[in-house]
Amino acid sequence: MTTPPLLEITNLSKVFVTGRGIAGRSEIRAVDDISFTLPGDKATLLTMVGESGSGKTTITRNILGLVTPTSGAIRYKGKDIFTMTRPEWEQYRKEVQVVFQDPYGTYNPFYKIDRVLQVPIRKFRLATTKTEEQRIIEEALRAVELRPADIIGRYPHQLSGGERQRIMLARIYLMRPQLILADEPVSMIDVSLRAAFLNILLRFEQEYGMSCIFITHDLAVGYYLGGRILILCQGRIVEMGDMDAVVREPKHPYSQLLIASVPPPNPKDRWAETEIRAGELRRSADLYRGCIYRDRCPQAMPKCGDAPPQMVKMTENHEVACYLY
Amino acid sequence: MELRHILFRSRLLLVGLSILGVLILIALLQPVLNRLLIGDINPVSMGTYKAYEEVSPQHPLGTDRWGRDWLALLILGLRYSLIIGALAGVAATFIAVILGFVAGYKGGRTDAAMRTFTDMVLVIPSWPILVTMASYIKGLSIPLMALLLALFSWAFGMRTIRSQVLSLRAQPYVDLAKVSNLKDREIIFQELIPNLLPYIGVAFAATTVGAILAETGLELIGLGPGGNIITLGLMVNFALRWGALALGKVELVFAPVLMLILIFVSMNLINIGLEEVFNPRLKRVTGG
Amino acid sequence: MANEEPLLRIRDVRVHYTSVRGVYKVVDGVGFDVMRDEVLGIAGESGCGKSTLVEGLLRLIVPPGKIASGEAVSSDLTAGITNNCDLLSLSDEEYRQLRWKSISYIPQGSMHSLNPVMKIEDQIIDAMLTHETMPKQAAKTRVAELLGIVGLSPAVAGLYPHELSGGMKQRAIIAAAIALKPKLVIADEPTTALDVTIQKLVLQTLMRVKREIGCTIMVVSHDMPVHAQIADRLVIMYAGRVMEVGPVVGIFDDPLHPYSQGLIATIPSIAQERRRLAGIPGASPSPLAWPAGCRFHPRCKQAMAICQDVEPAVVEVRPGRYVACHLFGVLRGMS
Repeated sequence: MTTPPLLEITNLSKVFVTGRGIAGRSEIRAVDDISFTLPGDKATLLTMVGESGSGKTTITRNILGLVTPTSGAIRYKGKDIFTMTRPEWEQYRKEVQVVFQDPYGTYNPFYKIDRVLQVPIRKFRLATTKTEEQRIIEEALRAVELRPADIIGRYPHQLSGGERQRIMLARIYLMRPQLILADEPVSMIDVSLRAAFLNILLRFEQEYGMSCIFITHDLAVGYYLGGRILILCQGRIVEMGDMDAVVREPKHPYSQLLIASVPPPNPKDRWAETEIRAGELRRSADLYRGCIYRDRCPQAMPKCGDAPPQMVKMTENHEVACYLY
Repeated sequence: MELRHILFRSRLLLVGLSILGVLILIALLQPVLNRLLIGDINPVSMGTYKAYEEVSPQHPLGTDRWGRDWLALLILGLRYSLIIGALAGVAATFIAVILGFVAGYKGGRTDAAMRTFTDMVLVIPSWPILVTMASYIKGLSIPLMALLLALFSWAFGMRTIRSQVLSLRAQPYVDLAKVSNLKDREIIFQELIPNLLPYIGVAFAATTVGAILAETGLELIGLGPGGNIITLGLMVNFALRWGALALGKVELVFAPVLMLILIFVSMNLINIGLEEVFNPRLKRVTGG
Repeated sequence: MANEEPLLRIRDVRVHYTSVRGVYKVVDGVGFDVMRDEVLGIAGESGCGKSTLVEGLLRLIVPPGKIASGEAVSSDLTAGITNNCDLLSLSDEEYRQLRWKSISYIPQGSMHSLNPVMKIEDQIIDAMLTHETMPKQAAKTRVAELLGIVGLSPAVAGLYPHELSGGMKQRAIIAAAIALKPKLVIADEPTTALDVTIQKLVLQTLMRVKREIGCTIMVVSHDMPVHAQIADRLVIMYAGRVMEVGPVVGIFDDPLHPYSQGLIATIPSIAQERRRLAGIPGASPSPLAWPAGCRFHPRCKQAMAICQDVEPAVVEVRPGRYVACHLFGVLRGMS
């Protein structure tokens, strides 16, 4: 008997319509026909990589239910999340949690940080007495290597960005979700504080079986986490598969560009002096008709403008959406 | 932010609060102070003393045309002025918060409709209407007066609250609250309103000052509650009508005017002080 | 390589901000040399003072901040304008003449500061004519030249900012900055908040610019891989002070200061074997109250007793390698 996939995204699209004036309506497809699956039988760490405008944050907000899709389905353990009953939704909220990017804005400055840990306990009834609540909070803080005495009773502005993000992980620990959505969780904290956060995330996957969708623009961070990778370009998936396979041998021209653009942190491994391209001025009239990357692709062919390429399986763990294959 | 931090961050705020605090204290202690000054006599009753007495230890501000102790009247006037101002301020702020909140939180068409309505109210020349209504309604009581004033002073506060709600609503901690399964009602009261309090405070201070100003203006042209209700505005009205300045009884005019000035100054200091405290400019300091 | 005389000598610079809470000593005694024709990277995390340091050098500090002490001496940069060689003590008027001609600045997020209603060409010409008089035609030719240097087609001159991509806008800004052939270009976080494909473009453009017009570039960035790619030498700052200075290869290969070691160990890389990343425990201290002794000692695994009391001076422990750390004993200091 097979377990249903933990998360199944099918043809998800989110379209924003702008402009109602003389220029006519134009649409922006923030997310365009995205499909992927997280297996239900083991914990997975999936890194979603994309630049600005790739749609990665919109996908997250859709999965979290903060925004409704224009079309497509999001299924959690087989059940469409937008047709769930109230108790099912409450359970969904407990099992699918988030770490946001901004370590400053996620805390309401009016309250002590304790509140961020107390609210889930109360809302999801994780403790029955005040003492138990306190015990759970301290245990959660210790699980993320923070000393309760240093944290409890403080206000957000008294703690560092790294500590604040780790408290978010403590909050996650409290709830033991099945799936964590981490939206650029380390990009706004100091580099020296990032490793601690990432290592805790890895530990959560290994020790508690928490799957994670890790959104980032920083490929090196995603690579460190390992697992699987999904590369987004302007709302569409261009390549996905096993992290090592994709990074070692990227197939899609965009993936290749992305990986070649990551600065190696080694002064002896410098980029070759390449000619800088004169600038991308080509702009197709109908952006969404064909492959989303065809305007910038050095290997674009005429057929790239006909229809969006379908995903092609290169190996068991590696798929690309490109007419080259 | 802790209350202590708020209070001590701004000297102006502290000064404003102190002055206002003293004035409120005086107003609250009016019965006691009255007894100290003139015993059990009602300060409004005429003929208690001789008219136009000189300034003396028994009458620190002299007496007026109808033999009433001016200081006792002043304290009473302060009390009524503050009461009317506060009532109007509370009512106006209440309206502003409700409307501003609904508009900001709901957004979309509701917001557009409310904005248009508010803008219309703002544009209406309130003064002539106020005068007209005040002269038509006989027997204007204090609550009615306060309500009347409130009806014309909520609009600006509504805009401030609305724009604040709009920006607060987009904060990541609101998203976090939603994801923690907090209901809309809980989000409004637990996440948003506490952060609105400084703005509500500013709106309250502004509308109260506006109400006292409007009330004084009405009194000066003889359109106040009348009867036994003495306000500072009414006192100025009387003093000017009697030609107190020409008679050399300048204290009759200056005392209530000075009180009014103190109220306005203290409220404005509080306003500026609150802005100083909640102004994020100094946060940028730690460079990098 | 470059000749040995430094372009700019920075000594004991302090920038302080006064507030009701106290004095924020954001930059608190920083000194190093900037050599000619080099790319000097200034690295460090948030709060270390690197951005404030360059704002000080550029005389962009406004109250409640002020340059509390220090000097930045360069005869080359002030040549032809004034006899006073100390950038920090020039009058505002004298410094204004330096801007754009001797020293140029590319602030963070500058691609967003392009005027949306002016053509690119006009904006660059505008900037040039503010600082130097030249006939309009000569200016136009220069603009075409500049666009070529940064790898943009001459057609870009006639476009408006919204018609350009992010990478093109950033390059246009760089073109404007080098318009009058400055000797020193200071770029503050030139790659932060940019997409990674644009980052590479910007860095390569900066390198190309340096080759074409022969200038010195100071790059301020918290992003260590950026320094690895383009810097010749590196200054590592922490808590308002300099911790280590040296050639970038040397620092990455063999970091001397425990803070540098921690920084290097925390960089993930896709080019090598995955190894466990270790961060630096604790958090950056506050500029209101720097720790006594060595400012890094509360977070340092190798801290000794002396580190709590005595602040180490920056010392040249090997030729060209400067460190401020008691692990290296006390020799003749530099700042």
